[in-house]
Amino acid sequence: MQQKSKVVLVGVATFVLLIWALITIIPLYWMIIGSFQDSAASASFNPRFIPDSWSIAPYERFFNKTNAFRWLFNSLFVSGVLTVTNVFLASLAGYAFAKLKFPGNKSVFWILLSTMMIPSQVTLIPLYVLIINIFSLGDTYTAIILPSLVTVGNIFLMKQYMSSLPTSLIHAARIDACSEFGIFYKIILPIAKPGLAVLAIFTFVAQWNEFFWPLLVTRSSSMRTIQVGLASFKFAESTDYGAIMAGATVGALPMIILFFALQKYFLQGITVGAVKG
Amino acid sequence: MQLATAKPKPTPPAYRRFLRDYGWAYLFILAPVLLFLVFTLYPVISAFIMSFQKYNIMKSKWIGFDNYTYMFQDDIFWKSIKNTVIFTLATVPINIIITFILAFFIFQMKSRWQTFFKATLYLPSVASGVTISLVWLAMFDPTSSGLLNTFLGWFGIDPVIWLGQSKTALFSLILMSYLGSHGSGIILYLAAMGGIPKSLYEAADIDHASGWTQFTKITWPLLKPTTLYLLVTGVITSFQVFISVYMMTQGGPNFATTTIAYLIYESAFVFYDFGLASAQSFVLAAFIIIVSVVQFKFFSSDVEY
Amino acid sequence: MARVVFNNVRKEFVDEKKGTFTAVENSEFVIEDKEFVVFVGPSGCGKTTSLRMIAGLERQTSGDIIIGDRIVNDLHPKDRDIAMVFQDYALYPHMTIRENLSFGLKNLKKSKAEIEQQVKQASSILGLDELLERKPRELSGGQRQRVAVGRAIVRNPQVFLFDEPLSNLDAKLRIQMRVELAELHKRLGATIVYVTHDQVEAMTLGERIVVMSNGIIQQIAPPTELYNKPNNMFVAGFIGSPAMNFMDATIENGKAFVEGAQIALPQAVADGLKSYEGKKIIVGIRPEHLYGEEFAHTVSKEHTMDVTVQVIENLGADNLLYFKVGSRMVTARVHPETIARLGERKRLVIDISKLHFFDPETTQRIALS
Repeated sequence: MQQKSKVVLVGVATFVLLIWALITIIPLYWMIIGSFQDSAASASFNPRFIPDSWSIAPYERFFNKTNAFRWLFNSLFVSGVLTVTNVFLASLAGYAFAKLKFPGNKSVFWILLSTMMIPSQVTLIPLYVLIINIFSLGDTYTAIILPSLVTVGNIFLMKQYMSSLPTSLIHAARIDACSEFGIFYKIILPIAKPGLAVLAIFTFVAQWNEFFWPLLVTRSSSMRTIQVGLASFKFAESTDYGAIMAGATVGALPMIILFFALQKYFLQGITVGAVKG
Repeated sequence: MQLATAKPKPTPPAYRRFLRDYGWAYLFILAPVLLFLVFTLYPVISAFIMSFQKYNIMKSKWIGFDNYTYMFQDDIFWKSIKNTVIFTLATVPINIIITFILAFFIFQMKSRWQTFFKATLYLPSVASGVTISLVWLAMFDPTSSGLLNTFLGWFGIDPVIWLGQSKTALFSLILMSYLGSHGSGIILYLAAMGGIPKSLYEAADIDHASGWTQFTKITWPLLKPTTLYLLVTGVITSFQVFISVYMMTQGGPNFATTTIAYLIYESAFVFYDFGLASAQSFVLAAFIIIVSVVQFKFFSSDVEY
Repeated sequence: MARVVFNNVRKEFVDEKKGTFTAVENSEFVIEDKEFVVFVGPSGCGKTTSLRMIAGLERQTSGDIIIGDRIVNDLHPKDRDIAMVFQDYALYPHMTIRENLSFGLKNLKKSKAEIEQQVKQASSILGLDELLERKPRELSGGQRQRVAVGRAIVRNPQVFLFDEPLSNLDAKLRIQMRVELAELHKRLGATIVYVTHDQVEAMTLGERIVVMSNGIIQQIAPPTELYNKPNNMFVAGFIGSPAMNFMDATIENGKAFVEGAQIALPQAVADGLKSYEGKKIIVGIRPEHLYGEEFAHTVSKEHTMDVTVQVIENLGADNLLYFKVGSRMVTARVHPETIARLGERKRLVIDISKLHFFDPETTQRIALS
């Protein structure tokens, strides 16, 4: 009886999941398939699901009309720098909050954490004024990077992660005459590698996909990130769906490849610092 | 007596002892704290002041509550609140149900299939909001050959002008949210389901509890923290929905998709009225802080910080 | 010379929610050079905090700590000439055993030759030669334990600190390591401060034992004295297994009246209890000092009590009989062939030379001489 209903359940589950997986994947599939079919001639975008001919013409148009290689480099550079700074600063501060005793430890942490409730829309305008008008950093890498050097969310994640590491190792290292920074650098960082990897991956993807802030502080085409560039391309060439899909593919493909290469970290990493089950 | 035999060592001055004991810790948090002061605390205070000003880079004018008064008398502001609330109410609960069902189904699978479905359903989350918006913009093509209209055509339904008319534009964005990736929620649910001790179900089997009873008495209650977490993060995210609006509808047609976050963007960076935009952003902040505080009340017993 | 001295040491923890909590209160003791002293007590009694204060991992709130001839209050752990072995071993998981052993010496900027020589010596003492190039995760629990001890030995410290080092080992290995540690102490000739919650470990290893409870030192004494003359009811109940029995009694005319028995006390004892005449008192007797009538060969059968046996546990070498005296459950550890049946009366012989008397108000031992 129990056995039979279990079989039925698994059957239904498999069916629903396959359908839903299809629904989930279709937009990406359609984007990639569409980017390889030339529909510039027709008024509407209507690629075949199983293409009968392939064309790289949309890519040629996309790359010819844009600064896309520069955009990709900009995204890579900005995301790379921010990944390094976030991993280093968040793990250092997270370690201090989790494992070191100092007056104000808890209060400082709670003040930081409570500002996570304030939506970015509140700070964006003064931040814009600060970076563009006061610091005169408009249209520079510094402008894109500076406000995101380390995020409170990442510090929180690292604090959670560091709390799970054994304190006795820190005590042992202290007795072993290791300096406080040495303890962090020689003991904590090596054993925290899995957590750091997850943080690095998620930061990189988040920064690669970041749109609004780079949009605000960049003016010239050569300073745009790929996301901002794609948006500007869409508004400039709103009828060339093929080329737009080519651009969208170019912007998404690095992350899709990253996902397949590091699937394990993506799928396990989300639960770091999340709710207790 | 014991002290007499011990060489007394002078105690270092208090501030040096303080620096030696805690200096490193303060150094470790120095950069984040400075960044926080400059890029979070200062902007929040500045935005608050701006919201009472007619902002100008050279010389701002103090206008008291004028921005707030104007905002509350502005039909478009109320429309944006309405749109945001409709969007939130329509997407968050149903998305959680979809997420839960998918996670529950995946949980029934063997581990190899679990990995396959987790990966497949998660994959679209790595694509940016811009990319996803561009693809959906194409799929919402209003002609009969658009992807969604082709699909409707199979059932004999006439083409829909998805984003181009007021009555379907917001619905289109909602639909896009349903069919988007629920990957991270699914993974959180699966982790929580995996954390429920098997012995609970075995005990229930011995007590002849039906599958449904086991679900309502064991599975669902023990997943409540995850559900609440998804509920709150879902609400906060959808209050701030922006990129899809910016990319796909620009708030139109006829303000049908103007959300509060989009309105703030427009006030600030289309009309350059920083004072009004700041006032509007504080309304959004109030919404989110209320939700967060409610979250904290619910969660304080379930989450270890 | 490396004594360890606590002079009126006190440690408070401030918790933002729970307020101030005193972990160690006015602690005073002298651990002599080369002595093996064990701190024992239930969890949360302050023993580990005391150890950490010696190590310098926690700073005492007030009082002085002296190691050797220096006040070390403000010295960093590395400057205290101590080494510590942790409960979870705390081996650096990403380093090989050799790197684990030499990490501290490298930080102290010792010469390569010296480091190599120290590591070699420690590894041969502990039989780690084969394991030096492995990582901790490739080692068994017992091997990891040895490496943890090795890491302490290479430092050649004046004082060794052990924080429940055997509690993660299985029972058999624990006994083996206990013997090894005792031998190591003789060989190293260093002062050892050892913390455990296991009173058997304390009794077998310690030259002197410090019993702690609720942050307060209850008694400091060699094992036999602790067993024979516990200072108070806490120590009496904590040391020895099964624990000492307590019975409510009244003293009248040189006799102790316990429910089900009256015990005529020897003159010396009766004199000592004179001030309790007519008052309530608590009589303590260890389970092994109660005998079944038929096996009471070594003691006079003069003093007996009749009890109704409620539970019998057969341990092989002994039988444990459980019965009630007043409202308290009492245990007797008797010869395995003692005849006793559940629910039936049984006459037990009391070795009155092994009685302990406690004041019910203060729970302190009543001194008889």
